[in-house]
Amino acid sequence: MNDSRLQALLRRELILKLGVIVVLLATALTVLLTVNNLLVSFVLAFVTNYLLSPIVDFLERRGLSRRSAILIPFVATGVLICLAAYSVVPLIARQASALEAKLPKYQNDLLNLIAASEQHLQKLFQIRMTDFSETIHDWIISQTATLSTQIPSLVSGSLTVLILTPLLALFMLQEGRTVSRKFLEMVPNSLFETTLKLHYQLNEQMGGFIRARFIEAAIVGIVVWLGLQIIGIPFATLLALFAAITNLIPYIGPFIGAVPALFIVLFSDDPAIAESLNWNLFWVTTIYFIAQLIDIVFIIPLVVARLVNLHPATVIILIIIGAQVMGILGMVISIPVAIAIKLIFKAFYEHILESPR
Amino acid sequence: MNYLWENIFRRPKKEDDIQSALAANMLFQDLSKSELKLVEDIVHVRRYHAGESVFRQGEIGVGMYIVVKGKVEIFVHDFASPFEEAREIFVTQLVEGDFFGELALVEENSRRTATAVCRDDSVLIGFFVPDLDEIIKRNPSAGIKILRRLAEVLGRRLKETTDKVTDLRRALRELREPPQAESKSS
Repeated sequence: MNDSRLQALLRRELILKLGVIVVLLATALTVLLTVNNLLVSFVLAFVTNYLLSPIVDFLERRGLSRRSAILIPFVATGVLICLAAYSVVPLIARQASALEAKLPKYQNDLLNLIAASEQHLQKLFQIRMTDFSETIHDWIISQTATLSTQIPSLVSGSLTVLILTPLLALFMLQEGRTVSRKFLEMVPNSLFETTLKLHYQLNEQMGGFIRARFIEAAIVGIVVWLGLQIIGIPFATLLALFAAITNLIPYIGPFIGAVPALFIVLFSDDPAIAESLNWNLFWVTTIYFIAQLIDIVFIIPLVVARLVNLHPATVIILIIIGAQVMGILGMVISIPVAIAIKLIFKAFYEHILESPR
Repeated sequence: MNYLWENIFRRPKKEDDIQSALAANMLFQDLSKSELKLVEDIVHVRRYHAGESVFRQGEIGVGMYIVVKGKVEIFVHDFASPFEEAREIFVTQLVEGDFFGELALVEENSRRTATAVCRDDSVLIGFFVPDLDEIIKRNPSAGIKILRRLAEVLGRRLKETTDKVTDLRRALRELREPPQAESKSS
């Protein structure tokens, strides 16, 4: 085959193969984004896959077959989650319903506090801010109403996620490698090594990132739970769970996580808490601060070491974009998505620019 | 090496090609059957047209290739000066069973030191750093066997290179100081 014919053939193959890959990826992405609850289930399955894969590898190293090495930790995690649900969920549900009962009181207290501060500010600066408390009042009322109307769909959504997530996670653990190999088989020869290296880097970085964030969230949750239990703040389990989840959002998360605890202390009708309000506020702040300190001193160095360097300003912008596009889920996944995009760009930039003379 | 019984117990052609190419390769010769199966599940089979390059000199390399079918030619582009067009120097032709690019398995950010072009329509097995890492992670004893053989291969290549450098030095010295001058001084 002469050179120009070969080049034309290779170019045609490259375009065709890349076209097929782009169409497949776009279809997968569209399905993920449009089918209800699929994206959440997929993200959770993805996280489960990365959390369990070191255990699977460990068991396989001990001589177990791949299938048994997957099934043992998978079943064990399922049992653990069921046990945790059996013992913790009633407690969380009790705390949630107690909190729900107290919500109107907290809502009122918050509105009173805003109204009082508004009056104080008006006196201080001699300006009129009549609309301010009304706007906030309307917003809080509308938010509470939305929450109550959303509960049925939230419950059915959670059930779908609860069924889909383990199925997807099992599929990822069992067939993930085969699917990636099939995908890599489609990659044109000229891009193969670059794509393979990129795939490997993405896998390593995502795995490290997800495992580190999970450990971080667990440690923050445990520290907050212990601290709140010791000083006797109500809804400790619920607040710890909230702190652990919000901690997944970089920079802003820890602050969001601490807000409910401070409000609960501030508006508590429990005489024991109300009596020494300032001390309680101080201790709650200290607990969240200690949790963050442990996070920053011991955990962040591990995370940062695994992270592609992203500037704090970039991180904040990414979180805002994530929040705008996909809400809380967007805030949590914006950083790993950005890491993936950065790695992909870097790999292909290197491939194009640093190709031989 | 071909044995008579290989023909009696022959497996389907395609599968057999990959399995026997792996089993016959020096890097995997110490592996048991189950370990070879693991390697077979991990490596990548790539198909090339005649004239298509596997990699080019200067590109980042991630691993090695084993020739299962076809022929691969290795060239070095010699840049005598940055302003001149590079001279293409033919180094060698590799046939079925040969392997190349193994230095990239151990070198970080390895750059290809030569260009590999398929002479015929070829089938190659690609074995890359992520694959080696996966084997080490999932079956460390197989990983050690491969690494020991890899060290041996690299050692042999180093020895060959050292011998060549010694020969070249000797030739250079002989060019600078002709043999009769040496005998006079001794």
